[in-house]
Amino acid sequence: MDDKMKTEKWKLSPDRSRDGSMTQEQSGPSWKESKMDRIRHEAWRLPLDESKKENSLAAIRQAAEAKQLSRYPSFATNLWNQFRFQSWKSRAAQGAVLLSAMLLSVWLNQKQIADTDSITVCSVFLVFAGNICLSGVARLFSRHMVELEQTLYLNLKQMVCIRMLEAGILDLVILYILTGLTGRFNSAGTGAYLLYMLVPFLWSDVLYLHMLTAFRNGLAGYRQISAGILCGLLALFPVMLEDAYEAAALPWWRAFGLAGALLLGAEIYGILGKIEGGDSLCLN
Amino acid sequence: MPELVIDRVTKRFKHKIAVDTVSLRLRNGVYGFLGANGAGKTTLLRMLCGVLKPTSGEIRCNGTEIRMLDGEYRFLLGYLPQDFGYYPDFTAKRYLEYLAACKAVPKDLAKEKVQEMLRLVGLEGEQKQKIKTFSGGMIRRLGIAQALLNDPEILILDEPTSGLDPKERIRFRNIISALSKGRIVILSTHIVSDVEFISDQILLMKQGCIVEQGTCREVTGNVRGKVWEYMAGPEEADRMNDTFAVSNLKNEGDRVYLRIVSDTCPCEGAAPAEPGLEDVYLYYFGTDEICRNADRSIFLRDMHQ
Repeated sequence: MDDKMKTEKWKLSPDRSRDGSMTQEQSGPSWKESKMDRIRHEAWRLPLDESKKENSLAAIRQAAEAKQLSRYPSFATNLWNQFRFQSWKSRAAQGAVLLSAMLLSVWLNQKQIADTDSITVCSVFLVFAGNICLSGVARLFSRHMVELEQTLYLNLKQMVCIRMLEAGILDLVILYILTGLTGRFNSAGTGAYLLYMLVPFLWSDVLYLHMLTAFRNGLAGYRQISAGILCGLLALFPVMLEDAYEAAALPWWRAFGLAGALLLGAEIYGILGKIEGGDSLCLN
Repeated sequence: MPELVIDRVTKRFKHKIAVDTVSLRLRNGVYGFLGANGAGKTTLLRMLCGVLKPTSGEIRCNGTEIRMLDGEYRFLLGYLPQDFGYYPDFTAKRYLEYLAACKAVPKDLAKEKVQEMLRLVGLEGEQKQKIKTFSGGMIRRLGIAQALLNDPEILILDEPTSGLDPKERIRFRNIISALSKGRIVILSTHIVSDVEFISDQILLMKQGCIVEQGTCREVTGNVRGKVWEYMAGPEEADRMNDTFAVSNLKNEGDRVYLRIVSDTCPCEGAAPAEPGLEDVYLYYFGTDEICRNADRSIFLRDMHQ
């Protein structure tokens, strides 16, 4: 079998590659490359010098041993590590939020609360839930911790992204529970209901994230809690407007939704930029 | 083994230049940055760690800009910030395990490393205590432990011994000396004895610039002939203390022993003395302090009048 293969290998024209295409020599250039091809093809016939082979292998082994190998963790490992080292308070709060979302939906359905009241309750709940989910990000910005975190292999910027991703996933689950269990019975329709939920949520996230790097000092923690409460109160704002949940107001909701989404994107970009520059993190 | 090159690095905060066109080449060894508060040491170290972005110039590790190396550079790094942050509700062990995970220390090795570091800094017995119950010295020791956790090739320590008692300080110095082989250790301090004993190279920073660099012998050699000893009466001692940079002042009976740092002989009868690193420090940084003392004296005199 080997001999046959060798013969076939030998039969291959040096001017032609294995797939039969033309080599470079035929299409014009390099005599050197053609010669190298020929040497390669004939190499199997040359006797091996075992001692030279052993020496070469020993040199390769030595170089491999001297080479410093670094094992970097995968994205999944980093994600898991960030989840693993969350405080139990944070995990308990997130669990409580999930459970409350389910209980709230069931209760609203059972009691057959009026549409607008149901929307208001759910949107305020989503705002608070969003803030609780984002508390993991806020924790990274604890006083003096940012400077150290920025010098770790998994640095602050990456940690913030991971925590935001985790918070985003949890927010989506809560939104799914609220919209799925309550919104489908709502006369406003699922799309409009989703919009009524998302607008206060997006704007509150903008405010909450802005407070992470603005006015940072020893009271930052209290400021963050204040921002959370303020966000909830702002979510109640549509209640004060009589026709806020009417179909005619939907273009306004869309416009505010779009503006909120754009601002949130800008806020996240700004935070990552501030981390990259470092000035505002170190000066506090 | 890494080589760090600081190439004409400047850092400007609005109108203040914190670091002014600093160029250095750092290879294996212990580098001690000495300087008064506000000299730019911390800013320079923050740039070396990649926390701050230089306004101009660049920092290279083995020929590549550290921001390009990104995670690969941070993998080599151990850093103790001046204001060491921690999560108060974490125990010492959990805190180190968390940082080991963030520093990409393999999980199987991390537990072993955490115990080794806790032993090294003498916190093995307190590993299950929450950090919020720790004293300032214990928190500082925890900071040193976290900096060493990933066996860093570049170790950067900002005011590592502040808050440590003399015994802990000596212990820390010995740890750094033992660790200094085959890595770059950079420490910044204004405690002269910290760098005097362990630094291979001493760098004096003033107003964002490196004003002097060399071994302890070289640096002290530069002020030879500028240190004087003198026995004075109490009134004369007060006057000289306001006029000259006095590195030591000691009452001996009715006379006062003065150690003065001055380019010229401060008074008749003053004898030249062998300079120490504290004298060097005072030679470069003492004049501002004298100005402040003089201002204060004038202010107090005006108040009395």
